[in-house]
Amino acid sequence: MHVGNFKETYAADEAVFSTPTSRFWLGVLLAALAVFPFMAGDYLLYMADLTGVAVIGAVGLNILTGAAGQISLGHAAFVGIGAYTTAILTSHLGLPFILCLPLSGISAALFGVMVGAPSMRMKGLYLCIATLAAQMIFTFLFVHWESLTGGIRGINVAPAEIFGLKLNTEFRLYFVTMPLVVIMVAGARNLFRTRVGRAFIAIRDRDISAELMGINLFRYKLYAFAASSFYAGVAGCLSAYLVKVVTPEHFPLHESVRYLAMIIVGGLGSILGAIFGAIFMTMVPEILQSCLGLFQGMSERVMSFLFPLQTVVFGLLIVLFLVFEPHGLAEMWRRLKDYFRLWPFEY
Amino acid sequence: MKGRVLIIGLVAALCLLLAAGAAFAADTIKVTAQQPITGRFAFAGKHIHQGLADSLAYANEKGGVGGKKFEYIYEDSGYDLKRAVASFKKMMAKYNPPMDYGESTGQGKALAPEINSRYHVLYGSTSFSQELADRKKNPYMFVSGPTYAQQFGILLKYIAAHPKKKGQKPKVAFFYSDTEFGRDPIPYAREMAKKLGIDVVAEEVTAVGAVDITSQLLDMVKAKPDYCIFQGYVVPPIPAVIRGARDYGLDTTFMGSFWAMSKMLLGKLGKDGEGYMGVNPYAYWYHDDVPMIKDIKAFNKKHHPDVDYRPNSYMQGWFTGMVFVKLSEMVSAKGLPITGENLMKMIPQVKDWDTGAFAGKISFKHSNATAVGKVYKAKGGKFEPASDWIYLD
Repeated sequence: MHVGNFKETYAADEAVFSTPTSRFWLGVLLAALAVFPFMAGDYLLYMADLTGVAVIGAVGLNILTGAAGQISLGHAAFVGIGAYTTAILTSHLGLPFILCLPLSGISAALFGVMVGAPSMRMKGLYLCIATLAAQMIFTFLFVHWESLTGGIRGINVAPAEIFGLKLNTEFRLYFVTMPLVVIMVAGARNLFRTRVGRAFIAIRDRDISAELMGINLFRYKLYAFAASSFYAGVAGCLSAYLVKVVTPEHFPLHESVRYLAMIIVGGLGSILGAIFGAIFMTMVPEILQSCLGLFQGMSERVMSFLFPLQTVVFGLLIVLFLVFEPHGLAEMWRRLKDYFRLWPFEY
Repeated sequence: MKGRVLIIGLVAALCLLLAAGAAFAADTIKVTAQQPITGRFAFAGKHIHQGLADSLAYANEKGGVGGKKFEYIYEDSGYDLKRAVASFKKMMAKYNPPMDYGESTGQGKALAPEINSRYHVLYGSTSFSQELADRKKNPYMFVSGPTYAQQFGILLKYIAAHPKKKGQKPKVAFFYSDTEFGRDPIPYAREMAKKLGIDVVAEEVTAVGAVDITSQLLDMVKAKPDYCIFQGYVVPPIPAVIRGARDYGLDTTFMGSFWAMSKMLLGKLGKDGEGYMGVNPYAYWYHDDVPMIKDIKAFNKKHHPDVDYRPNSYMQGWFTGMVFVKLSEMVSAKGLPITGENLMKMIPQVKDWDTGAFAGKISFKHSNATAVGKVYKAKGGKFEPASDWIYLD
């Protein structure tokens, strides 16, 4: 049983994982992630890769919206920019994966800064509409800049290659995706321990006070846009290699809304929340789908009623979560941990 | 305690059921499918799914192939590429089927490299895209009918044979949506028109479901085409274009390809639908003189007594089932096991397969698409044949 948490040095106070228990469980998690691909089949690995991409994207949006308080409806467009950068660099210039990955992040970050520019004058809902416009403009460009993006048909992406090894199976791709997820999540966690990260939070909580403390609002908002878009770009690069074809259809407005839903269902402003949210939004529809599989033999009429129901149930689950736990899955997780911290001596 | 017993009982019953399912599944030919039963494409997806399911059940009633029955296993993929690919991988791992049916052009493109290198599964889909019918690139994939380009070819061939003014080149307009679905056949159609001596006098592009089509209409009034072919729409803006053209006094004949040849569209067109034409690779539900349609109606009467109509998307699913069965029969006749690879090898060998006026005589000659269709004309809310089967190659 865990009874107390005494810190004797500043270093201990600043540690990310401050207790032996949390370090132990982190170790268990990492070990499980390392063993997982050897136990799972193609399907589970594909889902794991998809979830990994969603986690990176959601953690990125969480930096902008959760931490810095700037609502964005254009996140999918940045994921798209990352994906297109990868597709264009590999198909036109033949650049390897190792270069495509950071370049996708950087190009998305540059566009992120451009889109973030109106945040100097706008905030709240107004900024939200500006990002919505960005989503529309980029989707339009994906469709109509045919010489570069291949138009509606998009671009087929050849499998990534690292040191001569082709990442053409989910199994191999997992060993790129999962370490990247760990690195990106660790990066985000550490970002909030720096001056920049704390400035984001100050801006979110009260921008005027933040400015009075000497934080250059405009500059830090741009940093937030850049960081968030960088994550989106990396997610886009990975998704291009995973799905193997990049078309404008993959980055519509509702994908942006899905990312927002991830961080809200998971818990705004919490990295763990973004991870939970990404897992929830990716896996729950799959689980509902599998439940439907049990009814395969039913008549045509029953099925025509059951199929649309899965969307309704999914929507309902999101609403129920928000009603009963407005702070998201991360908060539920915290309460669960608290419960077990004292278990079995509850009182 | 009572609750626990109940739960254990339920779990045991479920296990038994699953085990029974597995035992039943042992000696069947499995056909898996990712069907767009919900989502944007649901209007057709649910019918395609039912058509394919019924077609395989019909084959089973006739005894299956080589003493084996078909087992149809499907999931709803919601017209979402990632979900469809996930579902495909799940089914490949779980059932290792020789045949699969996919929900979209996108799914085919995304899976093409892996189907060639890893999964080796015969792959049909809802798509009429040219890319998927390319035998060299995608030997395992086939299109259940003519590609969009071939559909345009069939219509243009019809137009060339039926000029409105004798001795003058027919004038044609293309009216298409700004989507892959809309643009897919256009480059081929331009070339084909040139070859057939048809003037393409206008090309109008709109967003899907566009509302304001005034500028396109005015352009059409200037060009005065004899025929106008729609591509990439299901319903809107077709009714608005046809009504607008009538208001401007144009006597253009409007035509559509497969998706714009539904009863739903004719219903929306009402009186303006008279004389609307288009290409469809299959017969319609009400063509009672077609033997296969008779069988389809009898099958539905027996299994779905409350059904009084099946749209052309159902026929697409049904026809895909027929192709699956035909290829399986060909493999079985050679005494080979029914595997994706053996099925794939049979595609080019399908020659002059008579489908009993349901879809003409089918050959997969130069591509993995059928390159045959019939031109229909709307009369009293129904499509009646305006030509015989038109073959492209």
